[in-house]
Amino acid sequence: MVDTTVFWIFTALYVAMTLFLGYLGYKRTKASEDFMLAGRHIHPWIIGLSYGATFISTSAIVGFGGISALYGMGLIWLAMLNISVGVLLAFVVFGKRTRQLGKRLGAVTFPDLMGKRFSSHFMQYTSAIIVLIAMPLYAAAVLIGGSRFVEATLGVDFNAALIAFAVITALYVTFGGLKAVMYTDAMQAAIMLVGMVVLLFLTFALLGGPTTAFTNLSNLSPAIPESLASKGMVSWTAMPTFGSEIWLTVVTTIIMGVGIGVLAQPQLVVRFMTAKDNKALNRAIPIGGLFILLTTGVVYTVGPLTNVYFMDTLGKISIDAAGNNNVDNIMPLFINSAMPDLFVVVFMLVLLAAAMSTLSAIFHAMGTTAGYDLWSHVKRRRKIEGYSKPSLSANKAGTFVMIVVSVGLAYLMPGSIIARATAMFMGLCACAFLPAFVHGLFSKSPSALAAKLSLGLGGATWFFWTFFVHIKESSILGLSKFLTGHDAILGMPWQVVDPMAIALPVSILALVVGWAYDVMWSKNEVITNGRTAE
Amino acid sequence: MFGIDDPWILAGYALAVGFTLACIIYGWWKRNEMEED
Repeated sequence: MVDTTVFWIFTALYVAMTLFLGYLGYKRTKASEDFMLAGRHIHPWIIGLSYGATFISTSAIVGFGGISALYGMGLIWLAMLNISVGVLLAFVVFGKRTRQLGKRLGAVTFPDLMGKRFSSHFMQYTSAIIVLIAMPLYAAAVLIGGSRFVEATLGVDFNAALIAFAVITALYVTFGGLKAVMYTDAMQAAIMLVGMVVLLFLTFALLGGPTTAFTNLSNLSPAIPESLASKGMVSWTAMPTFGSEIWLTVVTTIIMGVGIGVLAQPQLVVRFMTAKDNKALNRAIPIGGLFILLTTGVVYTVGPLTNVYFMDTLGKISIDAAGNNNVDNIMPLFINSAMPDLFVVVFMLVLLAAAMSTLSAIFHAMGTTAGYDLWSHVKRRRKIEGYSKPSLSANKAGTFVMIVVSVGLAYLMPGSIIARATAMFMGLCACAFLPAFVHGLFSKSPSALAAKLSLGLGGATWFFWTFFVHIKESSILGLSKFLTGHDAILGMPWQVVDPMAIALPVSILALVVGWAYDVMWSKNEVITNGRTAE
Repeated sequence: MFGIDDPWILAGYALAVGFTLACIIYGWWKRNEMEED
């Protein structure tokens, strides 16, 4: 066991660096545009690192690392999608248009961009309300994940860890805005990069080099438990049998959950709007791509290899070594038992950095939505019509309020809901926002009717399916049971169909129907220039 | 290769590294791109 004094010294150094960079952001935040968009003038390398650090949270390292230890190396396809869709496509296709449109329309938040692009208060307020309902849950999940880890490694009481974690992040987000968030993100990303590269080398050194390690992993196939083999798993170094239950789990989780869900997340979209020009976005792409390869690629390689280590030392595969069949225990257990003491400390900082960089981005996105999209507007609209100017103090107050709400949720929500929060947030973002967002970015005359139908029906379908059909959520949310007496109102196989698989097609269909109606029968709400009456 | 025989896994790694290289090449190639609008 590592001496906790060493842990504390490193933790104190990390917190001091974080607060110093937060202070730097605070000193450079003079106006609301600095707070909300870092002055639209952030260095490309910081954009790339910040995007990557926001993208990768503790769940990507511990959660998906554990899943790859269970199901094998097939998850490398998730890393591939994170790089190709999450970085290359996101920056080249979405990022540039988002930046140009955001600048031209003077948009400062994601709901603001939606509202101004479709000249619709409905789009802005509905987007804002969805953000303010779903994001605090996601924030609570990240907050709890980080605090559990601090509790386990530093021996700090969970409640104290949660409060300390929230207060440190709240300090620099509330006072320093997006500049502080992105400066600290860059430092946190650097810690993650160093930690992951060292982890890969140490793992290979421990297991006799890549070829020996993977050969031994391939030879472990007879140790695959019957419960997994019967569902299609053949080896940790091979994809599961095509069409089998595990193949479907791996592929639908990969493609539906993470591949698509990442494209319309407000806290990532806002990163594109911080770039001064297209040059800055282009120069951020190599940093973002390399970062994702060296974090997710390493995790999905080391995860399966933990089986070789645990088989050598304990005579068990990883999931059996972890205890309680909990995949989340695999990576921390491997680090704690297989790695040198100093690296255990470094890896703790990696997880702390991963959690804090994601949390700060969520806090900031929620805060600006509360402080600008809702608060400023409601206040101004009582006096004058039209769009208001953002206020620095309203943003700071909004950020503080949303942080308090998130901390409250972290205490109040049952663990079973928190465990589903990340997937729920990503699914809702994709179903409610993605089709309308794509339409707004690429259509020369976007249809407000199409966007409203897509957001309304996509969001409503997602809520319906989550609360009443998808058993993983409906059974813990309890509304279906309360109203109908059953955990889900449809039988198999509908109960295991992801809400996104239903609601995203509905959202796309609604967009197409609304757009076709506008183009063929009515020109009233097709926007060509400026704002239409609403 | 490296003790991994499954072509799907090898393809996954090749594509992950390939897309990372694409990110680097694109970023370098377009590092001085002018604005369109």
